[in-house]
Amino acid sequence: MTIPQAIAQASAHWNAGQADQAEILCQKVLAVWPGQPDALHLLGLMAHAFGNLSLAIQHLRQACLSPRAPALYFANLTEMSRQQGLLAEAEEAGRRAVSLQPDLISGWNNLGITLQEAGKLRESAACLERVLMLSPNSADTYNNLGNTYTRMGELEKARRHYAQALRLNPDYAVAQSNLAYLLNELGDYDDAAQAARRAIDLNPQLSDAYINLAGIEMARLRYAEALGSVTALFTFAPDHPAGLIALARILKRVDKTPEALEAARRAVAAAPHSSEALIALGEVLQAMNQHQAAFEAFEAAAGLPRTCPEVPFVNIAILHMETGETDKARASFEKALSINPNNVSALTNGTELKRFTSGDPEIARMEALLTQEQQLGLNDRLALRFALGKAYLDVGDGARAFAHLHLGNRMKRETFSFDIEKTGSWMAELATAFDADLLDRFRDVGCSSQAPIFVVGMPRSGTTLIEQILASHPDVHGAGELAFLETISGTLQPYPSCLADLPPARFAEMGALYAERVAALSHGRRHVVDKMPANFLHVGLIRLILPHARIVHCTRDPADTCLSCYTKLFAAEQRFTYDLTELGTFHRYYQRLTAHWRTIVPNSHFIEVNYEALIENQERETRLLLDALGLAFDEQCLSFHQTVRPVRTASMQQVRKPLFKTSAGRWRAYADHLQPLIKALDGTV
Amino acid sequence: MPRDAVSQPPVASASPEETAARLLDDNRAEDAESLLSDRIRSGGGTIPVWRLLGRAIRAQGRLAEARTIQARLVDASPGDAIGRFDLAETLLLLGDYERGWREYRWRYHMPHTKAIERKVQRPRWDGKPMPGRTLLIHDEQGFGDTLQFMRLAKEAKARSGAHLVLEVTAPLLPLAQRMAGHDIVLPRGTLPPPFHAYCELMSLPLVLGLRLDDLPGPIPYLTPDPLRRAVWQQRLSGLPRPLVALVWAGRPTHTNDANRSMSLADFSPLAQSAGTFLAIQKGPAAAEALSPPSGMPILSLDDEIKDFEDTAAILMVADVLVSVDSAPVHLAGALGRPAFVLLPMVPDWRWLMDREDTPWYPSVRLFRQRVRRDWRAPLSGIRAALEAGSYASGTGP
Repeated sequence: MTIPQAIAQASAHWNAGQADQAEILCQKVLAVWPGQPDALHLLGLMAHAFGNLSLAIQHLRQACLSPRAPALYFANLTEMSRQQGLLAEAEEAGRRAVSLQPDLISGWNNLGITLQEAGKLRESAACLERVLMLSPNSADTYNNLGNTYTRMGELEKARRHYAQALRLNPDYAVAQSNLAYLLNELGDYDDAAQAARRAIDLNPQLSDAYINLAGIEMARLRYAEALGSVTALFTFAPDHPAGLIALARILKRVDKTPEALEAARRAVAAAPHSSEALIALGEVLQAMNQHQAAFEAFEAAAGLPRTCPEVPFVNIAILHMETGETDKARASFEKALSINPNNVSALTNGTELKRFTSGDPEIARMEALLTQEQQLGLNDRLALRFALGKAYLDVGDGARAFAHLHLGNRMKRETFSFDIEKTGSWMAELATAFDADLLDRFRDVGCSSQAPIFVVGMPRSGTTLIEQILASHPDVHGAGELAFLETISGTLQPYPSCLADLPPARFAEMGALYAERVAALSHGRRHVVDKMPANFLHVGLIRLILPHARIVHCTRDPADTCLSCYTKLFAAEQRFTYDLTELGTFHRYYQRLTAHWRTIVPNSHFIEVNYEALIENQERETRLLLDALGLAFDEQCLSFHQTVRPVRTASMQQVRKPLFKTSAGRWRAYADHLQPLIKALDGTV
Repeated sequence: MPRDAVSQPPVASASPEETAARLLDDNRAEDAESLLSDRIRSGGGTIPVWRLLGRAIRAQGRLAEARTIQARLVDASPGDAIGRFDLAETLLLLGDYERGWREYRWRYHMPHTKAIERKVQRPRWDGKPMPGRTLLIHDEQGFGDTLQFMRLAKEAKARSGAHLVLEVTAPLLPLAQRMAGHDIVLPRGTLPPPFHAYCELMSLPLVLGLRLDDLPGPIPYLTPDPLRRAVWQQRLSGLPRPLVALVWAGRPTHTNDANRSMSLADFSPLAQSAGTFLAIQKGPAAAEALSPPSGMPILSLDDEIKDFEDTAAILMVADVLVSVDSAPVHLAGALGRPAFVLLPMVPDWRWLMDREDTPWYPSVRLFRQRVRRDWRAPLSGIRAALEAGSYASGTGP
């Protein structure tokens, strides 16, 4: 048998799935001609089919070393290298393929999707448009072009391409899954979820469909469902890098940061060349206040090729914002915008760093982006509406500001379901369950720790400010918004009605568990502040499990508080702030519940600080607060804005400045735009 | 089909899942079920735990319950091929062929089966006509599977209109060559002619939409070699009749072998029920024929049976085959010869539940355990049937 005969026979065996026979022939050829490219190429294809990607790449690389290696081998090396995340090598091989044989369809196609992943989107589109000319009815090509246009932000064009792919092949699972991703970007969550499920029906082992479905469920705040989707993925693809990235993000969102960190580290280990895995790792580290490590992860991510190369710089900028390094933050936003002037996230997050004056060119820039609104993803549209709202409020143009804010809030409100009446009954139930009788019955059975200080109240009522003041004291560490208490209450089912039947020892256990977890964050200081505002719901529980802990309740003018909420697009889940009536109604329920706490908790342990009073007389109010907490007065607490510590809430820029009085009674200027709120607050303004 | 349950030596700190899996291997399904139910009650209802519970319940014959659990698992994690395969086996056993065959296609997508899938580089046949083109059908698993499903080649040829190439494991080649319904038969591993589409033999039921009503198709579909038949006619002549061919063990590497296989000693209740027992047992268990139960007139043919051609010829001469669930049953059924089969309480899916006949083979009668691991009932049924001398299906007590 000649070598060409042996190769032909080996290929025929492989076509028939007779792997052993094919391999034996290839090895025989290589024994007499080491490096024979056709034998190596075939072995590479076989290794790929059996899932051994790195071995496949080794074979293909060696095959391509032959002086007469045909273009097809380079095209196949391109795709395999891309799958392995070796984008630079993939791109080089792709370019060799198309220069060797300019009419090789798979060469242009594989180069096109490699360039897409490397963020060279215009070139990618050019390659793929060329493929479309060479084979006009290819569903694959329409799908691939759809992906490139999605990443270019040309969302309508992308949608048309997916639609065409699905017309050509209605059972095309990959195109359904990509369409799901696109619809999620557009904020069309129901249709997105339907497309993702259809993709899973068509191909139950299509990993991307599960990841996209998880993303959709995350976007509509259904975290259990999001987790369910990645769990389903892991039953057949346990180390899927994008699945691990999604898992890390879900766990971070539900405040399971140690688990999130583990998932992110596994993602990086599984895909060391993935910029996105490093970003996810950085985001988790950031959430754990490990800023240096987070910075390093983002920097490493910036050094790797990726679809949107500006994104790591946005992450770095937001990190600098949190640590109060505003100059560095500005520089990073600029860097991101120099790579992609249309990056909405860079543009809108940067608005927090300044006070707009009229005629600011950034306002025009944001308005211009909104003129092609149908091309933008929902998150970008929302970010622009709220950023423009902020900008116009800065310049005093209430009409324009509220036009954007009303629209932005309405769009956001449409993305999730929320029942304000149910929330109200739940809060009433809390007041009924935690009555004086219950608190009396379990008096002093809890943990004796005095270390925790809870700062509670409505969002935007000054909780971040109070924490910053307290954290400036040498005996106090500010730990930010902690989810521990919510987690503990979540283990008590049904809460709160089950409490009356618990053995008293359980209260001490739960208190000790909380105390232990915050002690780990204390940096050796005597007190730790947990400023989760929503803990105003759990004042009763705090009294039972940590009877010696102090609770600081921040109060502020209701209309000003609600106005401030309404102008913010919160990062965390905050369902009651996107509709003025619901917002005002929620505030009324909050007032009722805190009034109840006031009557049954001694004021030595339920300490109230009023925002307006604090602004009026900062030193007196600060002294009173420190005194009530048993802390010696410290000058640092008055110059709190100089304290270097990370702050991650919506107020993070305000606490970097001395107190300002512009906020008091601010709502009056906008009363015309706030009528539903004022009505719902029902005379408590 | 290999699966992921493997017996392991006990380890000190086994997880409840590991312990349950071992209990299942040890045929202690009730204990496994109670352990797993406790685990679920205490909040540990993970997918692997539910999967094991489904198997524990199935092993006890509570198939509807098992199906509910297994279907729910497939809904929760549709990409989990192990879950789908488990469900397939339950559905097929219950006779739900429509969904059963659909789920059965996941058999090569499990972590431990991915590498054994034959990676044919041509499209899978979709059941549509492809006249003038070539269709490759290849067999996959044990001898019994090939013997049972090769009848479908004929329907595939009719439906496709294609030039049909059938590839089968070499020991069954002569039997397949004499069968109608194909254009060429090749032994596994030889290079087929160029082809346009392919199908695994056991995916044909899915592609053809096979229903219970379609069975059995033309019987017999296999025939013996006339020369061998003459040789064995000669060899076995003069022996006291009835001649009862006997197989007491399947291939020991089969995952369910402990459940289906017996030892020759177990057959002592039948010792007096035949003129001559013909031990056609192959493999390591064949040696048991040298020390039969007392009073059993048995002729050990292991050394004289060279291949399936011999076995087929013997089955033509013998009056009936008595066998555990193993390849010779399929051979007898395909030849249209009488056979009595001993089945465990929860048998392989191909035997369905709660019936004494099988739609696959009109000449085969099933004798099922009533209690797990207790062969007394099926043995006494077979004894009565042998003593009545009625070997055809459906005429027994």
